[in-house]
Amino acid sequence: MTADQGETPAETTGAVDLTEDAKVEAADIPPAVVAQSLSQYLRAWWLQIRSGNSGVLPVVLAIVIVAVVFEIITPEHAFLRPSNLVFIFGLSTVYMILAIAETAVLLLAEVDLSVGAVALIGGVITFKLVQNPGADWPWWAAILAALAICGAIGAVQGALTAVVRIPSFVVTLAGFLLFSGILIILIGGADASVNLNTNDPNQNIIYELVQGLISPVASWIILAVAVVAYGVAVWLRMASRRRQGLVAPPPALTAIKIALVAIVGVAVVVICNYNRGSALKSVQGVPWVIPIVLVVLGVWTLVLGRTRFGRYMYAIGGNPEAARRAGVSVPGIRIWSFAACSATAALGGILLGSFFFGEYSTNTADPGQLVLYSIAAAVIGGVSLFGGRGKAIHGILGGLLIGGIAYGVSLLSLGSLSTPLEYILPGAVLLIAVLIDVLSRRGTGSARV
Amino acid sequence: MTADPGETPTGTAGAGPAGATATDLTLDAKVAAADVPPELAAQSLSQYFRASWLQVRRGNSGVLPVVLGIVIVAIAFQIANPKFLSAQNLVNLFEQSTIYMLLAIAEIFALLLGEIDLSVGLVMGLGSVVVAELVQPTGANWPWWAAIIATLLACAAVGAIQGSMVARLKMPSFIVTLGGLLILEGVAIIVLGGSLVGIGNSQYHNELVLYDIFWGSFSPLVGWILMIVVVALAGTTLWLRDARKRRHGLEAPPRSLTAMKIALMAVSGVVVVAICNVNRAHFGTIEGVPYILLIVLVVLVLCTILLQRTRFGRYVYAIGGNPEAARRAGVSLPSIRTWCFVLAAFISGIAGVLFASWQVSLTTNIIKASNSYVLLAVAAAVIGGTSLFGGRGKTIHGVLGGLVIGGIYNGLYLLGVSSQWIDVVVAGVLLAAALVDVLSRRGAQGQA
Repeated sequence: MTADQGETPAETTGAVDLTEDAKVEAADIPPAVVAQSLSQYLRAWWLQIRSGNSGVLPVVLAIVIVAVVFEIITPEHAFLRPSNLVFIFGLSTVYMILAIAETAVLLLAEVDLSVGAVALIGGVITFKLVQNPGADWPWWAAILAALAICGAIGAVQGALTAVVRIPSFVVTLAGFLLFSGILIILIGGADASVNLNTNDPNQNIIYELVQGLISPVASWIILAVAVVAYGVAVWLRMASRRRQGLVAPPPALTAIKIALVAIVGVAVVVICNYNRGSALKSVQGVPWVIPIVLVVLGVWTLVLGRTRFGRYMYAIGGNPEAARRAGVSVPGIRIWSFAACSATAALGGILLGSFFFGEYSTNTADPGQLVLYSIAAAVIGGVSLFGGRGKAIHGILGGLLIGGIAYGVSLLSLGSLSTPLEYILPGAVLLIAVLIDVLSRRGTGSARV
Repeated sequence: MTADPGETPTGTAGAGPAGATATDLTLDAKVAAADVPPELAAQSLSQYFRASWLQVRRGNSGVLPVVLGIVIVAIAFQIANPKFLSAQNLVNLFEQSTIYMLLAIAEIFALLLGEIDLSVGLVMGLGSVVVAELVQPTGANWPWWAAIIATLLACAAVGAIQGSMVARLKMPSFIVTLGGLLILEGVAIIVLGGSLVGIGNSQYHNELVLYDIFWGSFSPLVGWILMIVVVALAGTTLWLRDARKRRHGLEAPPRSLTAMKIALMAVSGVVVVAICNVNRAHFGTIEGVPYILLIVLVVLVLCTILLQRTRFGRYVYAIGGNPEAARRAGVSLPSIRTWCFVLAAFISGIAGVLFASWQVSLTTNIIKASNSYVLLAVAAAVIGGTSLFGGRGKTIHGVLGGLVIGGIYNGLYLLGVSSQWIDVVVAGVLLAAALVDVLSRRGAQGQA
């Protein structure tokens, strides 16, 4: 834990040292832990940004810039229309989920190049299992089976990395080739496709994962329940910490956080409840995929931030030798991380199939491009490639940025220039993001030779 | 240079104070013999073979696994399909493998540093589009040689930019070349302009020359003459070098070994030319040594000399072995690193010219497909015996590894296996090669 205490255990490093060397320590531990008042918190936060721990700030800024620029330059200023925003979210879902999956291995300073191919395999398995006539499994069993199979794939790749010690880069490169081949075999050939029949209620549920909408009224109710639940949970935790004499964020900060979540939630619901269809056939409501992504985000945030498994992941990413000496079973954690990565990726693959109107073919997605985009999304979001630094939210924001760029470019009527720009812009954004990562690390004095 | 003494000291020991190795030999003969190349330690042929065997046992197996791999691939496919080892198919197989070979050699320059270049496939794609566009009679209409030079320079410039980002800005090569390949894909599509560019029009001299680079051959007689010249040149150089070493009292391989090496070269030269001179056309005549064989040979020899016989090459191995030690020894890390990426991109550019000639007409889909070659290039280098951890590898590994991949593709294709199954097999071979790499390193570390 030498280089990047940034996200690491909030519990272990206390506020004790603060008096000794306030400035250095304040930059190294999360502001939420040290600050006792709102102004202290903001000052500590600013200090952290100055010292290179900029967190989500760059990617949020980038999203705002991309949104403003595309809104200005797209014909008829169409980029920020509700229909487009909802579509962008659907398009970005797969990048978001795959970026979160990739984060799980990037945190360990490993990389998984097979994440795209494994995701598509998960999607095809689910689609195959609900076919009727065919296996005709219930939808939840099909999804669970896909997650389990892909988790097992991840565990095998993880074992080759963690136990046999083949570099993850090569293991997953071979995995990429292997599963790209198997994917085509599963689909049934390069020209075949696997389709969902929306008339079958069981298959329709999988179709609706991205395409389905929650009715406007239900959207408001769900939002209210979610915000209240979140607020109560955060407030109670803060209160209990305070009661037990632990360091807790100032109440004003907690209130602001809850208010911020509520505002974002209301904005999303308002946008989604706008009628995107025509006067004859109204299309409105929050897509199912938004709560699904939020659940994935919540689960991964809890796993990374609140469980022993998550702490061990950060510990290994920061310094594997130190983690080993502290008694962490490094191979075990590595294997589980790869398994969790692949299982999460499978979910992304299922959502991808649903986004493409329930059709899986070799045209649905190119596994090579998927993996490039998901690594790019994670890194752009703020996950470090050197391990030990990153959160689930980074994957979400990075995925949104990539999806926004891809869709924004397609909105511009650039003719033959639009295809190349879909490659050039993410590449350029990726390079800039890593440059910021590297330069900010240089500021903290932990650059390589 | 702590972990992998295998290939590193060849250059240093050979050119510098080689006496040191001989003195150590008496102290602890077994350890030293395993650490220095058998050419230097052995005084007679039998000693040489014993030293080589010891080295293989110690995990420094060099090209042995990949040569074994080639033999196994050849036997297995020959049993499955008797056409596999026919003269026609062998030439065909070699032609298909050339792209893998060149890209693997390019990749080796990055791997030796302990870096990776994911963009070699698309640098090749960009190079192929640029060279094809430049000779278009309705467009730029450059002479073919100017187009090739411009293409190679353009590719080298791409490498210089990426290399500077890696070496000077200290960005991870993995991400720089990942972002780079996305950008290059876009740039290549922009250069392509419309949907298609071709070089198949035999009315135009420049297009014809480009086409012939991949598809043309020397006439049988020229093939023989060339072979004799090449073998005579290589043999004389080898013999004179060993003689000079002996004269100066340096360690030199036994005379019988040098003679055997020359004989081996002559025999393989005769076999290759004999195979290539068989008529391989279904109708009419296509015979002779393909031009690309000579191109690959030249690239191989130049890169081998650069890596094994020059100060630059020694620095590359030093950085791959231990960058901090190399830096303290006064090696300028940024410039060596940048140059390696320039060379990788330059060689990918050569592959790009061949690629354009091979494909004849280029489309957006072919440009996108060129990206998949990078994985096969890494696979070829690793299968050939180049370590992923830096500091261990030779250019010949790329050629041999490329031959294995080309052989697998060709053999499975002959058997009517669809491409997705071929990917599955290549994945297995790559894993096996990486496993050999890891296990051999573990063996070397466990005993050292």
